[in-house]
Amino acid sequence: MIEIEHLQKTYQRGDGTPVMALQDVSCVIADGEFVTIRGASGTGKSTLMNIIGCLDTPTAGIYRLSGEDVSGYSDQQRSQIRNQRIGFIFQSFNLLARTTATENVELPSLYRGEAVDRDKARALLARVGLADRADHFISELSGGEQQRVAIARALMNDPPLLLADEPTGNLDSAAGAQIMELLTELHGEGRTIVLVTHDEEVAAYARRELLIRDGRIATDRAQSTLHAVRSAG
Amino acid sequence: MPTFVILRLALRTLWRNPLRSVLMMLGVAIGIASLTTLTSVGEATKRQTLAEFKNMVGTFDVVNISPGGGRTRGMPSLTTVEPTLKFTDATAIAAQVPGVTQVAEVQNAFDIDVKYRDNTTASAMYGISANWLQMHRYFVAAGNLISPDDIQSLARIAVIGPDVQRDLFPGEDPIGKQIRIGNVPFQVKGILESRGAGPGGSSLDNIVFIPVTTASKRLFNRDYLTTITAQLKDPDDPEPVIEAITALLRERHGIVPPGEDDFTLSNPRAAALQVSDVRSTLTTILAGTAAIATLIGGTVIMGLMLVAVSERRREIGVRRAVGASRGDVLRQFLVEAALVSALGGLAGVSLGVGAAVLLAVQRALVPVIVWPTVGAALLLSIVIGLVFGLQPAWKAARIDPIDALRS
Repeated sequence: MIEIEHLQKTYQRGDGTPVMALQDVSCVIADGEFVTIRGASGTGKSTLMNIIGCLDTPTAGIYRLSGEDVSGYSDQQRSQIRNQRIGFIFQSFNLLARTTATENVELPSLYRGEAVDRDKARALLARVGLADRADHFISELSGGEQQRVAIARALMNDPPLLLADEPTGNLDSAAGAQIMELLTELHGEGRTIVLVTHDEEVAAYARRELLIRDGRIATDRAQSTLHAVRSAG
Repeated sequence: MPTFVILRLALRTLWRNPLRSVLMMLGVAIGIASLTTLTSVGEATKRQTLAEFKNMVGTFDVVNISPGGGRTRGMPSLTTVEPTLKFTDATAIAAQVPGVTQVAEVQNAFDIDVKYRDNTTASAMYGISANWLQMHRYFVAAGNLISPDDIQSLARIAVIGPDVQRDLFPGEDPIGKQIRIGNVPFQVKGILESRGAGPGGSSLDNIVFIPVTTASKRLFNRDYLTTITAQLKDPDDPEPVIEAITALLRERHGIVPPGEDDFTLSNPRAAALQVSDVRSTLTTILAGTAAIATLIGGTVIMGLMLVAVSERRREIGVRRAVGASRGDVLRQFLVEAALVSALGGLAGVSLGVGAAVLLAVQRALVPVIVWPTVGAALLLSIVIGLVFGLQPAWKAARIDPIDALRS
């Protein structure tokens, strides 16, 4: 469960003037939810995701993950949370280019301090439909295939929470649809999925939408409401 | 992350960028190779010098007393010899100084003309007591050495070196033949075994020995000596003997403070070490230069690592996202730097040992590899990698993963 209370994030610009990326954000995301954070660029949705993903720390406010206040955690502690409790899926895939698909999938287990489970990595690649691509270098794979490798990597340490930042942004609509179906499947298995996008079609896969505007949550709607609004429009 | 995983990761990264890795290793490799070669060749030369020196003086286990104060160092010569050392001094030292097993007397000269019929050669001439030759490990190839009877009887006999035999008696057996030393006739009693060359490369075989008594009474007509050689009971501790001899001679010569000694004592081992130490100093200076070259190799590693860190921002971002802490990233880059430097050091040691052996063979030395120095050089290369890798590793660890993932 993600609990966020009065979260604020202020950046220093290059010239020293402060920018308030998050003004006052409060929300609760329950385990097993599929939530999208939507908003125009520069509204603070990426900042919110980075804080949820423990890549960034809030200036003020509280962030509790499974009841644990992680707002003041050290780099070491946050790294461990990223490693074991969160899986990231990025718009630009962020794979290591000159290594194989299997090696990319194994990467999170290297930082877990346990022996690398190659069979598990291969099973995950099979799971995302890339059994025959396991030993290919990343540069030999298409965009859709690369993103599926990234999803397999996100699953390597069995995290309960997946964070996807514009996962279809660099893909054509067919490949994008495949990725969204895969995420829907993973949600069906009980994983919590937080998806950041500005794309309404992608957002429609989620059951709940947080609309961010000017560093605040402007609306918080369930998916059925969304459909009602859409059909009305 | 376990250490072996970091090491494997570092090896793989180095393997994937062969050109960069070789460039990083080059400076350290050259520095370590020079260091290894220099210390090895230096040590081989030092040992050779000591061996040659010992071969020249025959023994290290003595104290030599020469006339004149401390200012007349170097080889004695009869033309400048001060008449302060008497035969009686030698007898007194043998009788009164504990720690001295025996005493030999010498009256010598350089470049004295030795003739046989029409042949003439200039050689070193030593008037010596009979025990001197045994003390200095001279052996005859033919004939006999000078005997105590020869000393007693002031015999006009000579033992000649192989060079003198070659120059005066080509194709002829010298034993029993009459030669003239400074126009005094002598009969050749023995021919010495060759001792080869001294530290300067000049021959040690151009030499003639006659009884010291004969030299004193029949050749030079002088009752003073150029050297008294006292053999030590304990060669490792010459100091008490040196002090005792000094005290005895001062007393016998009636010298009271502040009067200075009219004689000089020296220990050939100390002299030999002094000579080889001069060469060691040179080696040390050169080795210092090689160490600085190794340090410059370290700065090359730092420079290339800094570039690599900039190029690998995204990789760093990815690793951070999947759970690498700042410490993990720091360790990864530090290990890479240490590994590349150690590999450079290993290559340098191999090169250096090879070069040292080649050089030694070429210069007819016995190859010596100073393994403690080789070990220290390898350790140095690892330390250099760690020290010069610290800043790039720190830079890598400080990279903000959010920026790195966005780029």
